[in-house]
Amino acid sequence: MIQFRNGFYADIRTEERFRTVISYKAGILEEMKNPVERQAFLRVYDGRLWYYASVTDVDHLQKTLDGLYAAAAENPHIPEDPVVKRFEKNVDTVISFGDCSVRDIPLKEKQELLLSYLPLLSEEPSVTMAQGAYLDRSSRFHFESSLGADITYDYQTCGLVFGFNMAEGEKKFPGNWQKGFTRFDEMRSLEKEIREAVKEQAYFLRNSIPAESGKFPVVLSPQAAGVFAHESFGHKSESDFMLSDESMKEEWQLGKTVGSPILSIAEYGGVPGCGFVPYDDEGTKARKNYLIKNGVLAGRLHNAQTAAALDEGLTGNARAIDCTFEPIVRMTTTYIEGGDLDFDELIAPIKKGYFIKSINHGSGMSTFTIAPSVSYEIVDGKLGRPVQISVLTGNVFETLGLIDGLTKDVELLSFVSGGCGKMEQMNLPVGFGGPYVRVSSMNVQ
Amino acid sequence: MEKEYIRTTEHSVTLNVTGGKIDSFRELEKTNGTVRVYENGCIGIAGCLGEPNEEELTAKAVEALAFGIPYPCDLGGPLEREDIRDEAEIIPVPQFIPVMQAFLDQLQELCPKFAFSNKIYLMDSRTEYRNSAGRHLLSAGRMISIELIVQNRGSGNLFDTALAWEGTHFDADTVLALFKKQYDAFYTPVDLEPGRYPVVADPSSLIGRFAHHFVGDLYAVGASLLSGKLGEKVFSDKLTVRDDRNPETSPATCFFDAEGCVAEYYRPTMVENGVLKGLITTKKTAKQYGLSNLGTASAAYDGVPDLNVNRIWFEPTAGSLKELVPGKAVFIIMASGGDATPDGHFATPVQMSYLLEDGEIVGRLPDISVSGDFFDMFGKDYIGAVKDDPQEGILLSAVMMDVVKG
Repeated sequence: MIQFRNGFYADIRTEERFRTVISYKAGILEEMKNPVERQAFLRVYDGRLWYYASVTDVDHLQKTLDGLYAAAAENPHIPEDPVVKRFEKNVDTVISFGDCSVRDIPLKEKQELLLSYLPLLSEEPSVTMAQGAYLDRSSRFHFESSLGADITYDYQTCGLVFGFNMAEGEKKFPGNWQKGFTRFDEMRSLEKEIREAVKEQAYFLRNSIPAESGKFPVVLSPQAAGVFAHESFGHKSESDFMLSDESMKEEWQLGKTVGSPILSIAEYGGVPGCGFVPYDDEGTKARKNYLIKNGVLAGRLHNAQTAAALDEGLTGNARAIDCTFEPIVRMTTTYIEGGDLDFDELIAPIKKGYFIKSINHGSGMSTFTIAPSVSYEIVDGKLGRPVQISVLTGNVFETLGLIDGLTKDVELLSFVSGGCGKMEQMNLPVGFGGPYVRVSSMNVQ
Repeated sequence: MEKEYIRTTEHSVTLNVTGGKIDSFRELEKTNGTVRVYENGCIGIAGCLGEPNEEELTAKAVEALAFGIPYPCDLGGPLEREDIRDEAEIIPVPQFIPVMQAFLDQLQELCPKFAFSNKIYLMDSRTEYRNSAGRHLLSAGRMISIELIVQNRGSGNLFDTALAWEGTHFDADTVLALFKKQYDAFYTPVDLEPGRYPVVADPSSLIGRFAHHFVGDLYAVGASLLSGKLGEKVFSDKLTVRDDRNPETSPATCFFDAEGCVAEYYRPTMVENGVLKGLITTKKTAKQYGLSNLGTASAAYDGVPDLNVNRIWFEPTAGSLKELVPGKAVFIIMASGGDATPDGHFATPVQMSYLLEDGEIVGRLPDISVSGDFFDMFGKDYIGAVKDDPQEGILLSAVMMDVVKG
């Protein structure tokens, strides 16, 4: 039983993380492990400074906490501190994966599942190097604070990641496919999907031509649209960027028009998948937040420090990649909401443009970038030849204003490798997605 | 049965800066242990977070042999070597907050239109490697790193530029002078006609997107643009590319790789005078594809050794920036989001760059994009590299590239 002291705010976050990694390269077993790691992150706040400690010795947390108390200064007014006043005092247990934990699946069964798919990659003769991995993670979190919060919840993801380098003569292409799930049984019967992905990328290797550089209408797939929303606007909604410069409040006033009237971007930690965060790392319950609603700036993402500084409410976005780091403002699952078209209607008006089916990565500051993987030309309203594009770029706000079509259906994606990076904290699992999105003009290189 | 034992410790103190003020202090003490055992062509691995019990880890590693992960046992010859650089404190921990806050206050005074945030780190690391073939290596280092994100007050941007510095000794006046120079240039907008210019940048930001072409197994199966060219001259005479594990130039870096390999000058060589000399390998991939092992393995505390380049090093060819790029040149500070097509065409937007004239920063350029082709960039268009320039003091490389606005 942890003894918190008066005159300070304190909280302790512990995680027991079970992981499985099984990987093969060129048919040879490369890695097989299923470690269980325990770590804790402790915070003490005295109204002036935060004091943090990260430990793997979770059996002596009181001693570590007392060390932080010794470094901080007692403050009898801490309950009235605007940051402390914002903290929620939730008491809850949310166990979502008790009946389907990947911890209960034998390692052998996971290995057999991976091995059942690997031969599909080598069916394509241009594949020179096939590799695949099975990855899972099952975490049990506990959060308690000096204010009385006491939360236990679990988190689970599992998935398959395949890479298949292809070469024919001088033509090379790094093929890939991956998908994340929350339950082991969802990973069965994926043969058709994987086989089609390999075939499509082999076709791209053989037939793709360089895209014409310039400004063109572009249609983004749910993957590309999701990454675009995440990179171009999601990061701008992380309000810790607003704390250092007072003028940011003026610039980012809620209610300002920032995009096309058909555009709404939402953010919600309650969405099942790899961005599932029922309670954030400060004990705040997840809630759906609109970043943009009908083209208007509708909200932003907060931890307690930023919410207090900007005098806004908590949003459930204080996250850390693990118990090595303090929670900072991060996304959970970010997505563009759907519109009223189907895919054929979306591309029909385009005389000459491009369809971005999959991407390698994206980034977003005042200018965003998307590095496509597989893309197609659109000619007279129909999909045409596969094309190679180095990068798509544009001014974020101009581009948000140029969105002029959305499909009805929205697809949310989860990945089990990679993730979102922000400063020192890399590879945070996040969900993302959206409908197919048409932008009337983007800079293609 | 052969065996390797690795123990690493990291101690770091991290200050978070918001609006030029330190608002948090984080202390991290992390110890990991790893035992790898080899038997019948397989590897067994056990690792732990926290102080390792070698006997327990060895027993678990032996159990893990049952997974049947093939791995060659090649422990190298006996070697005793130490590189210890953590004796002298850079700044005593109790003084870290006041010293750095005073530095930030001075910086704010010098650069009033900048708003600063992000982290300042004080880090110690120590890695011990030993194996049953008599190899015992110990590397320990200490560094301070200042990584400030900068907002130009009133710009409305998440960030406008960055100020970064790292070293093993902290002299506030030197760092302030370096940062002030960038501040002055930031508020001196300059223009540049589109065209071909020398582009100066950290070597990894230029060659990083092509790093996979140097990976041994991709090379061996023909998936690299360099496949079949080992031993051939494929780049400029002036280009020598190494992986820098030398603590002299990469502070607090471990001088050996995760498999206990020690390179000459602690810098494994991939390209020497334009000739492709080495490929990124582990002992496993080297043996599997009949390549020489470069000594570029990394490993998670509980994982099989994997490929990793620590920090790209281009051998310097000039004594100063002025000598490297006389006349006009683009100096890239931030360029993210670019990529290369499978056939080697590279393009990236540049979010923050300065114009250099005769090696001196003269002003801030507008948003630009740069592009080039792999074999040209490091062949006929490669200009060279410079280290210890009196102005910058960091490793920079220069390549002729196409520059366009926007």
